[in-house]
Amino acid sequence: MPLARADLESLLRTRRLDRTLTTALPGVDPRDETAVAPAAHAGLDAYLGGGLPRGQLSEIVGARSSGRTSLLLQLAAAATRRGELVALVDALDALDAESAAAAGIDLARLLWVRGHVVTNPGLCGDLNQRALEQALRAFTLVLQAGNFGLVVLDVAEAPLPALRRLPFTTWLRLQRMVEGTQTAALLVGTQPMARSSAGLTLQLGARGLGIGDSGLGGLGNGGAASGIRFGHSLFEGLTVEARVVRARSREREDGCVTLSTRADCA
Amino acid sequence: MSPLTPNSQSPITTNPQSPTPNPQLYACLYRPPGREENSACSAGSALDVVAIAGEFSPRYECHGADLVSIDVSGLGRLLGPPQAIGDELRREAAARGVRAHIAVAATRMAALVLAIARPGLVVVPRGGEAAALAPISIGVLEKVVVDDDGMQNPQNAQKHGDQHNPASVAVAAFTRWGLKTLGELAALPPPDLAARMGTRALVWQAIARGDDVRPLVPTLAEERFEATLDLEWPIEELEPLSFVLTRLLEPLSTRLERRDRGAAVLHVLLRLVTRDPAGDGGREVCARRLELPTPMRDVRTLRTLALLDLEAHPPGAGIDRVTIVIDPTPGRVLQHTLFARAVPTPERLSTLVARLGALMGQDRFGAPARVDSYRPGAFAMEAFRVEHSASVSQPASVASVAQSPIPNPQSPLVSALRRCRHPVPARVAVAADRPVRVTTDRRGFAGGTVIRCAGPWRTSGDWWAGGPGGSGGSGGSKEISSVSSTHPTYLTHLTHPTVPASWDRDEWDVALSDGAVYRVFRDRATDSWYVDAIVD
Repeated sequence: MPLARADLESLLRTRRLDRTLTTALPGVDPRDETAVAPAAHAGLDAYLGGGLPRGQLSEIVGARSSGRTSLLLQLAAAATRRGELVALVDALDALDAESAAAAGIDLARLLWVRGHVVTNPGLCGDLNQRALEQALRAFTLVLQAGNFGLVVLDVAEAPLPALRRLPFTTWLRLQRMVEGTQTAALLVGTQPMARSSAGLTLQLGARGLGIGDSGLGGLGNGGAASGIRFGHSLFEGLTVEARVVRARSREREDGCVTLSTRADCA
Repeated sequence: MSPLTPNSQSPITTNPQSPTPNPQLYACLYRPPGREENSACSAGSALDVVAIAGEFSPRYECHGADLVSIDVSGLGRLLGPPQAIGDELRREAAARGVRAHIAVAATRMAALVLAIARPGLVVVPRGGEAAALAPISIGVLEKVVVDDDGMQNPQNAQKHGDQHNPASVAVAAFTRWGLKTLGELAALPPPDLAARMGTRALVWQAIARGDDVRPLVPTLAEERFEATLDLEWPIEELEPLSFVLTRLLEPLSTRLERRDRGAAVLHVLLRLVTRDPAGDGGREVCARRLELPTPMRDVRTLRTLALLDLEAHPPGAGIDRVTIVIDPTPGRVLQHTLFARAVPTPERLSTLVARLGALMGQDRFGAPARVDSYRPGAFAMEAFRVEHSASVSQPASVASVAQSPIPNPQSPLVSALRRCRHPVPARVAVAADRPVRVTTDRRGFAGGTVIRCAGPWRTSGDWWAGGPGGSGGSGGSKEISSVSSTHPTYLTHLTHPTVPASWDRDEWDVALSDGAVYRVFRDRATDSWYVDAIVD
């Protein structure tokens, strides 16, 4: 006999598996900094309902030059400005220290873990898989230490086959680890990874491309000219759109927010 | 009793009229400088004064190396009257070859001043302290320095210059007033004295009267924190060793807590089951030394750190004896607040750092730091501090402050780069001195037609430091991040080698048809192109 959604949710709650429900979590007060980690960007914070939810595993996904790293550094800078510690597990060792400093990150409060994952593993695919698992273990260690304000696993540019080989329970385990803590855990990648374990998934793409039309896999990378700004002789920055494609504590997922980046140091 | 209101009628100063069941009695030993000692004893004579004190009472206080005050209350039942106690002290000092001034009085301050001012043995009858001190020259106050915390230490008087020594200033003022002895100072009306010289002058007057301004604070001998366990059967693996470490560390942690101490250095000594190479009965010992970043005494943290260190440096044979030695240091005093966000404790961060070091390697984590170089992508790694305040800290460098103001919430984000640590070799088609197509053989960097571009910007450097280094792109074999940097960690010190590679390149920002913006450069030395970074 087919069960209604309410029955399924009731059964899940009985077995204490309701944390994977998309609508299981109540909304948070956007002004409560113990519940959200603001990005210190008025438009984005208003759109996200205060910022990234704490105690959840959030995601920032997008293609190259979609502003993922810029947004990541903005979140980290806001966290260090609040006196929090930030950990960045940089699986591909791609962080640019100058960009981080220009974004306003207090570098002394940033724990940077440099991974060994390479973009082009060649015939040594297993090597990359081990490096990715090593980065995940480092991410787990930081979460276990606790009391970090923001913990980031940056696997953008990581080979998708290596990511797909990770067991799905990995993300569920990470979500359970971060639940109930004051830490905002964040995954940065090309495509959504955590799926139903994710607290909030923010997809970035070029402005005017219509992220929703391209779907999660489209990633909006065909209209480069629409989001990339060049001046007379200088690269000026990117204009991208951010859209929440999954949120456990939000009902409405329509709308988007436009973000601009300026090439101060880039 | 407050030092600001000295009261000669205080119970501490032994009113002769008040019947006290266990009257206070103090003795002071002072070894004056410049005395020639027996050559056999001269080396240890400084310690002998303390040793003599320890022979008579556990309650003694050291004021430097040559002055010690002893609480000899109650010794009367064992040795007799104060004169007998003094004689016994003098006998003990003579037996040790120490010529010391000895004074016995009902107040510690009277005994201390008399020991400094009078040679031989002086015993003051109870209640006669002020009279005994009265004829002493007022200059003795310069040798009895009273710090803000009430400590008396004649050595401090010598370290301070006369101009800055409060005692010298006070004595100079008293001398100008015509005062020559402590008795004359003691006779001054306290309100008038305080009105002219401040409340601190009352402390000098209390000393002149022989009143105690604070109780004796016993000096505790340095305790050695060491524990050893002999095993019936040798341990081959680290897992059973963790139980042994826990058993050894738990009582040590308790002792540290009782003494308000934390571990500064943890020594793990493992006696190995090996053949005796020298044949003298000695066995090989695996000794590990962990310098802890912050005083700690948490058993789990210490055990984890020791085990992680032993995982990285495993002993070469089975272990039949485990010894733990801890170098103590004063414990941390923490004041938490309800209004600041908690940060990880130093113990947790130390454990995290040790675990990350075991997992990733010591040079693969830390805090990034900028370097004074124009080399693209240059950075340094610093050890991640394990002590952070919950409050907002200032960025380390002034440059960081200048370049990272608190942003306007409406302002755009800073465009960031994703660096390719090993620049990706690229094929670039150029037309009219501008790149028009960028392709690579690297999977994931397919490239495409250049839609827009900006450049070139020529940058070069370190050409004075050595030969051509391929400007970071010659084969991609050198990390351009490897600018000379020191990476201190709490266990070891690793230093990256300096890479004297010059660079000379023309950089372009190109937007390709794949929708991404790249930073590419042409190495002018080899005329080859590389993808250096992705604008993201």
